[in-house]
Amino acid sequence: MTDTMIELEKLTKRYPGTEIPAVEDLTMGIPRGEIVVFVGPSGCGKTTSLKMINRIIEPTSGHIILDGEDVTKSDPDKLRRRIGYVIQQIGLFPHRRIGDNVATVPNLLGWDRDRTNERVNELLEIVGLDPEMYRDRYPKELSGGQRQRVGVARALAADPPVLLMDEPFGAIDPITRTRLQNEFLRLQQELQKTIVFVTHDIDEAIKMGDRIAILQERSIPAQFATPEEILTQPANQFVEDFVGSGATLKRLKLTRIRDIEIITDCLTGSVDEDARTLRDRLAASEWTGMLLLDEQKRPLRWLRAPDLDQGRSLREAGLPAKAFVEPHATLSDALEEMLLGSAGVSIVVDKHGVYQGIVDVDTIIITIQEMRDASAEFYRTAKLVDPAEVAG
Amino acid sequence: MEIASFLEFLQSDATQRTLLAETREHLIMIALPILGALVVGIALGIAAHRFRFLRGSILNMVSWFLTIPSLAFFALLIPIVGIGNTAPMTALFFYALLPIVRNTVAGLTSVDQAVVESAKGMGMGRVKRLLQIELPNAWPVILAGARVATLLLIGIAAIAAVVGGDGLGQSIYRGINRIPAGGSLEAILSGTLMIVVLAVLIDLIYLGIGRLTIPRGLRD
Repeated sequence: MTDTMIELEKLTKRYPGTEIPAVEDLTMGIPRGEIVVFVGPSGCGKTTSLKMINRIIEPTSGHIILDGEDVTKSDPDKLRRRIGYVIQQIGLFPHRRIGDNVATVPNLLGWDRDRTNERVNELLEIVGLDPEMYRDRYPKELSGGQRQRVGVARALAADPPVLLMDEPFGAIDPITRTRLQNEFLRLQQELQKTIVFVTHDIDEAIKMGDRIAILQERSIPAQFATPEEILTQPANQFVEDFVGSGATLKRLKLTRIRDIEIITDCLTGSVDEDARTLRDRLAASEWTGMLLLDEQKRPLRWLRAPDLDQGRSLREAGLPAKAFVEPHATLSDALEEMLLGSAGVSIVVDKHGVYQGIVDVDTIIITIQEMRDASAEFYRTAKLVDPAEVAG
Repeated sequence: MEIASFLEFLQSDATQRTLLAETREHLIMIALPILGALVVGIALGIAAHRFRFLRGSILNMVSWFLTIPSLAFFALLIPIVGIGNTAPMTALFFYALLPIVRNTVAGLTSVDQAVVESAKGMGMGRVKRLLQIELPNAWPVILAGARVATLLLIGIAAIAAVVGGDGLGQSIYRGINRIPAGGSLEAILSGTLMIVVLAVLIDLIYLGIGRLTIPRGLRD
């Protein structure tokens, strides 16, 4: 066991008839259990680099060492069964049911039927699809987001230690994409797979990556570092240009809700209580509204004083509670939900939807302030000029 | 000839016996060539799909067969395989190849590349990929080719009677030889009618085969 799961050594791909290689001498160590994102402009060779790891594209020269073993010349089919593979177009088998799609690699490995079935059900549940409902459906009966969930389940079927993902959420609408990204990050916390993830979207890279490789043409790494480092200490002009403006906004994607102090003393009521009790409690507080929770403590409605006077059922009074975020969501997600929601705050819930607290604009502003101070501190110690000071 | 006399002709026991026997012969005459062409045609289609440099020559070759006039083709085969059903059946086999080969290539080409790549990426070998992924997905198109080939053969097989073959062509050929004697038109028409009926029936059979063999996920 080494700490490096995948070792790429001078990996080169030269297509016949072209002078300039698509990928040149790519050397990189991918740490075990981390998400490494390859990001770069289109045509930089990031997808080619990814596909050389499971030898969908055979390297012209160089070596791939997987978990200490040189697999550059080993049986490609056996190698691929140890590596989960998710692509943007998903590529589910249209003629096979969802369950059979997920069972592909277990079947190739010759698992017995019971073990495979059990695993398929488990995986569909993990990716948030009810096995009873979806196992026997066909891919065309699912939405794009659901198909990509199946794609992820299928890649994880035989519990491979390594996952290659080529723009997995690229063809999905933005709202579903954010949800899938968050779910995937939560999943990764449990699974601790070694993941190589390709995207052209720096924001997605910052959000998903434990480490980011910003690649220039011929897949030459401009910087290979953590998202924090890339945002605060870009190695060169190329990285700076690629990361682009709005670094502060981007850093909202780095901070997760579980890392900040959320508001937990928000006034709540339960559907078990009667409207009168709730109204009195609201009147006695400094709050202008309260959050109604159901029997399982899941948020239902936002209630203001007038809503409690109308004699309507509590479940229909006021405005529906929206804008839910989970603790692993980023501040950027929280901010976005906040802007979409009705109450100007995001409600933090755990994975079962149970109320944890709220995040409001002030929470986020305070966090940004802290980030700025930290950044200014960094510039001071690095004896660089703080852009804010110059402007001030 | 009047409709009434044609109906009377169709109702006679002798006519019905003849037509039924000839229909059976007709079916047998096309069944073997179709089955053979399916096996050979799909194999050629796979080869043409896999090896790009072969594609042009394979498709050209099976197209040429179809340009040979059927009567000439049947006659040319007689010195090689003799008189009777063998010559027409051999020719029918070659005629059936074009739609099957062309549709096999088209079907395999139409399979989503992402589907094939994901199969490869999961460690499915070449043969498994072909048998479990590419062919099942190409099957609706291949089956459509087989249907066209069968309908084509039903028509061409009628000419076999001229070179001594069996089938519904005999009723037609008999009629032609007796023109203008009475009953000649009836014979020609009855043979033609049965060929049309046969074609409709085979179309329905193909519909049924499609239902049974095309996976639900590929149907519209």
